[in-house]
Amino acid sequence: MKRKGSPLTGVASIALKEAADHMTSARMHLIMMLVLLTAIGAVYAAIGQIKTTTAQDAFLFLKLFTVAKAPLPSFSSFMGFLLPLLAIALGFDAVNGEFSRRTMSRILAQPIYRDAVLFGKFLGGLMVLAIALVTLWLLMVGLGILFLGLPPSGADVARGLVYLAATLFYTGVWLALALAFSTLTRSPATSALAALSVWLIFTIFWQMITPLLASVISPINPYDPMTMLAQFHTQQALARISPAILYGETATMLLDPTSRSVGPIFMSQLQGALIGSPLPTMQSIKIIWPQIAGLIAGMLFMFTLAYVSFQRQEVRS
Amino acid sequence: MKSLAKSASFALLGAAMAMTPLLSSNAMAEAFTQPANGPAIHGFWLTADHPDVAVSAGKKVSIPLSLLNALDNPVRTKLAVKGLPEGWTYSIKAGGTDVTSAMPLPNEIDNLTLKVDPANDAEKKTYKFEVDAIANGDQFKLPLSVAIADIPLGDTTLVPELPALHGTVNTSFQYKMKLTNGSNHDTLFNLSADAPAGFMATFKKGYGNEEITGIPVKAGATESVTMTIKLNHDVAEGDYPIEVAAVAGPDDPAAKAKVSLKVSGSPKLLLSGPNDRLSGQATAGSETTFPFVLVNNGTAAANKVTLSATSPSGWKVSFDPKELAKLDEGKTQNVNVKIEPSSKAIAGDYMVHIRAKADGVSKEVDYRVTVETSTMWGIIGVGIIAIAVIVLLGAIFRYGRR
Repeated sequence: MKRKGSPLTGVASIALKEAADHMTSARMHLIMMLVLLTAIGAVYAAIGQIKTTTAQDAFLFLKLFTVAKAPLPSFSSFMGFLLPLLAIALGFDAVNGEFSRRTMSRILAQPIYRDAVLFGKFLGGLMVLAIALVTLWLLMVGLGILFLGLPPSGADVARGLVYLAATLFYTGVWLALALAFSTLTRSPATSALAALSVWLIFTIFWQMITPLLASVISPINPYDPMTMLAQFHTQQALARISPAILYGETATMLLDPTSRSVGPIFMSQLQGALIGSPLPTMQSIKIIWPQIAGLIAGMLFMFTLAYVSFQRQEVRS
Repeated sequence: MKSLAKSASFALLGAAMAMTPLLSSNAMAEAFTQPANGPAIHGFWLTADHPDVAVSAGKKVSIPLSLLNALDNPVRTKLAVKGLPEGWTYSIKAGGTDVTSAMPLPNEIDNLTLKVDPANDAEKKTYKFEVDAIANGDQFKLPLSVAIADIPLGDTTLVPELPALHGTVNTSFQYKMKLTNGSNHDTLFNLSADAPAGFMATFKKGYGNEEITGIPVKAGATESVTMTIKLNHDVAEGDYPIEVAAVAGPDDPAAKAKVSLKVSGSPKLLLSGPNDRLSGQATAGSETTFPFVLVNNGTAAANKVTLSATSPSGWKVSFDPKELAKLDEGKTQNVNVKIEPSSKAIAGDYMVHIRAKADGVSKEVDYRVTVETSTMWGIIGVGIIAIAVIVLLGAIFRYGRR
């Protein structure tokens, strides 16, 4: 049966309500506090490191995000690790939480379609994430200006903004994943555990698993050096299934203008190349665009999964 | 004995004849080292190569003396000068030491120098005096004369070996010259060249390395001097005279020489990239054309101009036109440089060396090519996102509005 009208009627009001709920929730505050403290710690350590070691750099500002000082990892790797946690915290009980609180039928009693509920929940979560990330980004830039005593250049800002957008898509992937789990499982605890195990696998264990998988899929023939390359390619392709790896490559490419490729480089490709010369911002974005596109597409696929699953559910229980 | 004295141009001491019987020893004389076909010398001799000398006023006189002992025993000889005018002084030197006697060994020649310092106010005339030698109780006399006179100086000359040279502005012109000191005393000559602006002259002694501004030349001697002239690159074509001078003091002789230098034009190539930039962008695996400009801003036509390039491996660089038979001076030629980076080139900057070569000149420029990432992956990325959106829209279409 076809119904008339836009399926998105009421999305805005649901999204805003959802965002407002998140903003005041203790869960969000706790996770955001964790992210904020680690981020400030990483950037503060990076500033100390930059002050003592770097003499002159055309892209000094971007080093704030990439320089690490033991035992703290760099800002960008902290973000790659902790932001999924924030997204999962926002999304893991988005749908099944409504069921368990028995509020879903009340929402759907309003003159809106079911589509609007899921879209609204996703967009509301994304909105909160965007606000959090922009705040975090501005805070880091402010810290950098304060402690380094120099303003970021135009290229610094452009790269930083693209990095911010890529970070939003990365957290969007995890939000959509958490949303999908919350529609697939009935219990919020189950969906939270499922989302957290995916997070642990992809952020920690995936890098250990891929070499094993690659050696099984394309074994090395010691008499054919090309098989070594083939195995490397297989390993890289497998690793890129993980959004965390894609995000890590994106961060490296965007925040280090001298990096020219994310794949293997042969000596013949380096002949005549001016090593260390920075790439134009557009070129870096072009190189890393497949990774960003992968993140966007992953986010959309995850959301579609959640959407299809939610639309087919019985909601009147 | 007389014939010997004549053939050797020796001023023979009058008493030498008388001495011969006294110290006669013909047998011993045969042992004396002598020219193979000359007559034998016997006895004991005091001689002067040039007994009558002329000198200009105020100059000292050096007269070389020889004591020749052709006897079989050393002869102690007491030497003194008699008959010098009032105010004149003399000294006899043997290798720098003042001596008053000499004792040549048998079959030896003792070389001495008689230095006479005439009085400052000596009149211009001939003064006679004699050297007294007392050997074995016999006395010899060697009459000498010094004439104070106005002696015309010899010519001091500066003679270039090759006075006219030809070359281009890049040539270093070398003039070898002989500088002869015609005066009777050692002189330090200052060397200078009067050349037009844009010419730089340096001097060297002979084939030496040191640049000099002056050169000492002994009286009557000749030294070789090399003058090198380098030109500024903007010197126009033409003939240029250069005057070289070797000057000592205000009263001393000076020598001048005129050399000429013919400069012919030379081509000079200049290669500049599009809009005078030496960097450009190209995409990996596809050809990009860069309009270069080749200029000959030299002073002659450049012949057989060829263009070539050194590029990273796997790159293709071609030129249109690749060769020019001739590029006249002041003329400009547009050259399209087509650069195709290797399809495996990674994004970023690469150096390509582009070279224009003509007869005798070449010009190389380093062109910085920024390889851009192929947009293929960008399109594929957009496609993947589009597929994801289509799937989402399809899901909305299929399951939407419940």
